[in-house]
Amino acid sequence: MMRRANRYVLGAALRAALVVALFVALATPFAAGAQGAAASDRTARVTAAERSLLRGDRPAAAREGRAIVADYEQNGARWPARDRIAAGRAYLLVADGDAGAVRSALRAFDAAAAADSSLDEAVLRASDLFLEKYVAPDALQGYESVLRRRPGNAWATLGLARVMAFTGKGDALGKANEALAADPRLVPALLFVAERHLEAEHNDSAVAASRRAIAIDAEALEAWAVIGAVAWISGDSAGFRAARAQAERVSPRPATFWVSVSEAAARQRRYADAERFAERALDLDSLFAPALGAVGTNRLRTGQIAEGRAIIERAFAIDPFSLWHFNTLELLDVLAGFRTVRMGRFEFVAPAREADLLLPYLSPLLEEAYDKLAARYDYRPEAPVRMEIYSRHADFSVRTVGLTGLGALGVSFGRLLAIDAPSAREPGSFNWGSTSWHELTHTFTLGLSGNRVPRWFSEGVSVFEERRARPGWGATATPVYIAALKSNFLRPVSQLNDGFVRPRNQHEVILSYYHASLVAEMIEAEFGAPALGAMLRGWRDGLTNIEVFRRALKLDEAALDRRFDTWVRARFARELAAARTDMGTDSAVVGDADLEPLLAQAAREQAAGKDSALVLTIERILWIWPYDQPTHVRLAEAALRAGMPGKAVRERRAVSTLGPSDLLGARVELARALLAAGDRTGARRELLDVLEQAPTYEKAQVLLLQLRSAPPGAAP
Amino acid sequence: MKRAPAGVRMHRALVLALAGTLAGSLALATPALAQRTHLLVVTGLGGEPVYSDAFVRQGGALVDLARAQWHVADSSLTWLAEDVARDPRISGAATRAVIGDAILALSRRVAPGDVVVVVLIGHGSNEGPASRVNMPGADPTAAEFQAWIAGFSRQTVVFVVAASGSGDFATVLKGPGRVVITASRVYERNESKFAEQFVRGLASTDADADKDGRLTVMESFTYATREVAKAYESDRKLQTEHPTVSDSVLAARTVYAATTQSGDPRIVALVAERKALEEELERLRARKATMPAADYDKELERLVVAIAEKSVAIRALEGRP
Repeated sequence: MMRRANRYVLGAALRAALVVALFVALATPFAAGAQGAAASDRTARVTAAERSLLRGDRPAAAREGRAIVADYEQNGARWPARDRIAAGRAYLLVADGDAGAVRSALRAFDAAAAADSSLDEAVLRASDLFLEKYVAPDALQGYESVLRRRPGNAWATLGLARVMAFTGKGDALGKANEALAADPRLVPALLFVAERHLEAEHNDSAVAASRRAIAIDAEALEAWAVIGAVAWISGDSAGFRAARAQAERVSPRPATFWVSVSEAAARQRRYADAERFAERALDLDSLFAPALGAVGTNRLRTGQIAEGRAIIERAFAIDPFSLWHFNTLELLDVLAGFRTVRMGRFEFVAPAREADLLLPYLSPLLEEAYDKLAARYDYRPEAPVRMEIYSRHADFSVRTVGLTGLGALGVSFGRLLAIDAPSAREPGSFNWGSTSWHELTHTFTLGLSGNRVPRWFSEGVSVFEERRARPGWGATATPVYIAALKSNFLRPVSQLNDGFVRPRNQHEVILSYYHASLVAEMIEAEFGAPALGAMLRGWRDGLTNIEVFRRALKLDEAALDRRFDTWVRARFARELAAARTDMGTDSAVVGDADLEPLLAQAAREQAAGKDSALVLTIERILWIWPYDQPTHVRLAEAALRAGMPGKAVRERRAVSTLGPSDLLGARVELARALLAAGDRTGARRELLDVLEQAPTYEKAQVLLLQLRSAPPGAAP
Repeated sequence: MKRAPAGVRMHRALVLALAGTLAGSLALATPALAQRTHLLVVTGLGGEPVYSDAFVRQGGALVDLARAQWHVADSSLTWLAEDVARDPRISGAATRAVIGDAILALSRRVAPGDVVVVVLIGHGSNEGPASRVNMPGADPTAAEFQAWIAGFSRQTVVFVVAASGSGDFATVLKGPGRVVITASRVYERNESKFAEQFVRGLASTDADADKDGRLTVMESFTYATREVAKAYESDRKLQTEHPTVSDSVLAARTVYAATTQSGDPRIVALVAERKALEEELERLRARKATMPAADYDKELERLVVAIAEKSVAIRALEGRP
């Protein structure tokens, strides 16, 4: 616990600590000049040491770094500004596991800036360091200050691009291209562009930018990493081997190369491969924090919680400023307090209260989903499938991407699913039943395809399966979708993945989910039920999209595009005839979490005495918001009237779980429902428990006496 | 004329005899009052219609439930409020002088063993002995309330400050024979949800945790505390008030409703037998951890069934189903 407290303080105080360091450095009297002759020597020495580190010779880099630091700490007050920058860089060479060295580096950069205010490099290196340690506002301030003095400065412009990428605000790629316009030979900008393209699955552009970087700096290891990652993703083993050989030429221990490939594999949801690649990096450099982080994160994604945690602990010890690792360790502490419940083919991990309330609904739903999906796709994922349920969205977000702020509701890493509990969101925000069904479908599509299914197809099948799971589940067409279809905004099947990874407006991702689900629906309708499974097996066999289409559907890309376009326009012919072409700002897709119509429907059914229908409607309400006690009571009463005592029991248990004002009263009602369901033993247990606490409670006494006097099998 | 006195005497004897008979039959039919409860409700300045309305609603609910559920006599029931015209049940203005007079009047009516319940509802402020709840005109302070209730030394005083910024009242008012309940702790000042939940608990049977039909002060406090927490949780807000109780032991012993004792010796006997069984159950519960579960359950069932059968018999004699 103590260590966790320290982490917490660190997280909160990180920015303050670095900023304090900045002001201390600025306030320190500076003696300029004395050993100017040695400046170029120290810069050359630290550059050489950085090269040693790049080549995997961590001891040599640290040795030289320590020597420069020791010199600086003894005589630095007389060092010129450029040497102070070299000192800052040297501190970073010895900063593994030493937060103090990071602060000293920042002080050295700031001292350099104070000594020579025209020296942009000092400010830029301090800003880079701030950003590397996740203090984006201060980094931004530094870059902007340089740009005010020197408009168009390429390094500072690249810094802005990095801040944009970090914060997710602004056109990071465009800004990086601005930097390249100012300095076409700026290798870090080329690498940044290459990585952005790789993330967006623009593989050709990623390779092109990497090759430009290599043409300028043949030792740009990260560029070979991008080329290697693209080759691996494309299944180009020769290309991958060539890139790896080049990386090994630059560095005999190219841990960076393997980490980059690992990250690319994780983006493709091939977590086992990602873990394997990260382990290769770790074999080469056991202290390389990004490698430790990648191994740990992927172990966590594959459900190896204890093993993942141990590795992340090591990574955090080396890089105590890492927000990802800090958040993840905090989350794992939270997770340790959750309850783990094995039910059938599932292992649920959730806060105790959520587990008590949600699992009686979720477990049967997922068992049903498993059976239906297994029959449909002729595939049975290995049990147990683990589902984590988070009652704080921030925890779910950290579990998913390491940071807070993720917009998603659920995620599937294969046999590990994570979702927001309904309590993590406002009532009416999402349907936790359809979301669970959606994520479990990914378990099937990922597993059956060996994690090679493209995102658009996996999402499309998941939404399609939601839609046929229950009435009203899954996305439906809205005027925005129809307008997008009419205006030819939506992408053809062959380019549908871009709708997820390179959206052109705020609607496109959500529209693409629905559009992709219609592709799945069309394939099943036009090519037969086994077609979807056949496609997944095609990807599993390493086929490209084109090959999959040919093998499973006997169509080439263009033909499939045409076939779907014709199908979807026929399906929505009436809507298209009446539709506008302006998408406007309305919600793109009406989901399955709208409470109001269901509440109105329930009121009508109750008034009409249609108890069976009322039961179904209230159950739909509970898949949106299960925390309202009166709703459970209403369902329990309707279920009893409709002759469904089992459901009445479930609902009475839910009422007790929700912490009613009158718990004993709720337990007596549970006993009554148990009796109605023929469970005399359960009813007797409840009543004895109640009367143990409240021996003169009349309602419980009467029911107990009735239970004892009624013959077995008879209702009292 | 001489006969007259004899006649008078005879008449007196007859009257006495009849009285004895009547008393006997009344004793059979009418329960004897064992404890009387007196209630003073003071609802303060609302400041805004939403608060004024809430205070009147809560004050009215208290008066009604005191009359109906606690069997408080009208003469022992006083509601002072910001605006006397708001509700016919309001007895007078909630000014400092009227409040002081009301407590003085109450002190003349009480008997030893009675329970005196004072409930202040409004906006308060923590200022040590000068703590107050806003009333029309000068506000009475906690120190003044302390002086006014000092005379209730042979009664149990339940003093509830269901107001924001009420924590300091507990420090000033607490003492032997008193239960002081405040909506918040000493340093908490924000708007209070306590009064709403406290009144709701008194008005419903939900707060009666052991379901014995006798709501204790502690049960009502526990209920309100739990419901206040739930209200903040449901609103997804940080809880900024934490109710306090000064003497939980006395609070657990003190019931709001005037208690009665049956005059029917058969009922008295059954109640005593049931009480003995409850005590036996209490002893059993104390041994629970040391007993095999099956043995415990068997004995538990025997006792709760026996208690239930006594209750059935009592209800039958009382003419209740």
